Amino acid sequence: MKTALALLFTVGILSAQEVAPPAETVTTRSRALELAGAFANDGYKIRDGFWSGTLEPGKPQFLQVNLFAGNEYWFSVASLVPTAKLSVGVFDESGLPVQGEVFQDGATAAAGVIADASGKYFIRLEVAEGDKAEFCLVYSYK
Amino acid sequence: MRFGFRENFALHLLEGNTRRSFSASGQVLSSRGFHWLCGVVGLALLLPGLHAAEETLSKEEIASAVITQDVTIPTPGEFFAAMDKKGQPNWTQIFAPRPPAATASRDQMALMLGLLVADGYIAVEAQDGQGVKNVGKDIINLAKKLNVSQSVLGRGNSISDFAENNDWSALREELEATQNEVKLSMVEQKDNDLVILVTIGAWIRGTQVASAFIEKNYTPELAGLLRQPAIVEYLLGEVDRLPEKMRSQPLILELRAKLAAILPVVETKKRAPLTPEAVVELSSAMSSLVESITVGSKEL
Repeated sequence: MKTALALLFTVGILSAQEVAPPAETVTTRSRALELAGAFANDGYKIRDGFWSGTLEPGKPQFLQVNLFAGNEYWFSVASLVPTAKLSVGVFDESGLPVQGEVFQDGATAAAGVIADASGKYFIRLEVAEGDKAEFCLVYSYK
Repeated sequence: MRFGFRENFALHLLEGNTRRSFSASGQVLSSRGFHWLCGVVGLALLLPGLHAAEETLSKEEIASAVITQDVTIPTPGEFFAAMDKKGQPNWTQIFAPRPPAATASRDQMALMLGLLVADGYIAVEAQDGQGVKNVGKDIINLAKKLNVSQSVLGRGNSISDFAENNDWSALREELEATQNEVKLSMVEQKDNDLVILVTIGAWIRGTQVASAFIEKNYTPELAGLLRQPAIVEYLLGEVDRLPEKMRSQPLILELRAKLAAILPVVETKKRAPLTPEAVVELSSAMSSLVESITVGSKEL
């Protein structure tokens, strides 16, 4: 497993240096969908709806969602600004953080949670480091 | 809780899974994009997992939360996925679509369209390919009557193709994409007020099916799924924003009255599940609304 990961890493670095996708074919939404697509292997279904806008450093934005108890969710966000480090957090209706798994890699980030009760939740998006950035958030569930 | 994100991400890439689900957005990842993404994931795999933020949101932050119809309102598919975990609904038995009645009312047609979208999700749960195709045809026929754009009509073919191949996961995404495309088309032709009615129709049918099932198979875990006061509040607010002419129509009057009546029913303290009596009340209100949308409202 470690060898495979190391190989993937090496190939990945070379690929990233040699072949960048043409900018015009990539949007924040397609980048967010790429990230969310990683969960499809594990049975997650991706919502067609999305939330997009512009994030400024120090000014987090919040989105209200409704989750169902027992369902598992991933909220995936992406930007095309490489210097913007994004972060995603999930909070319950009282505003308390929901513990789960968080992924962060530069201009992409995701938060995974299992809803323990049905109802209202909040997603917090922010630029943890770096510049103002346009973003797109999609979510997937199973 | 184990999500295995990194393993899934790596597997996803190694399989060259360039996302069938990109059909929802019309975007397909090219092989160049794949190589680029390999670079990104290579870095990501070396990063340690981070933990969720510890601080609590302030009242101001909660009040500033955006509500967007396309993301904030869950699809019937999410509702049904949660039901599947807590009960074993017999979706084949539940799937009993009614063909949309002839009507000249665009409001009623928009609500019917929402009902049909939810029926599509039920047919998917029942894994009834022919049922999905039939519902898809009904959706497209109704969409035509509402003069939606040509792009929506192509979705009918996609639904049929996915149903033919029993691709249930793709069908869930395609149903939502179709619904969103219909809504977009409504906005383009300045029918913005109809958009919320499609959403309400889908929510009503999903809730009717769920509450009817839970009424017969009550458990606190299942009944907890019906606790959706934020959604009802939002839908009520949107109905109140409709033009006066629309709001005075008997069907919309009935819709508003029933949504207002069920708000205290689905609003429980301390995240408690609905009581059996509350489930019966909700089920009755939803069935009555589905009836009115399907055959037309009685004067209040």
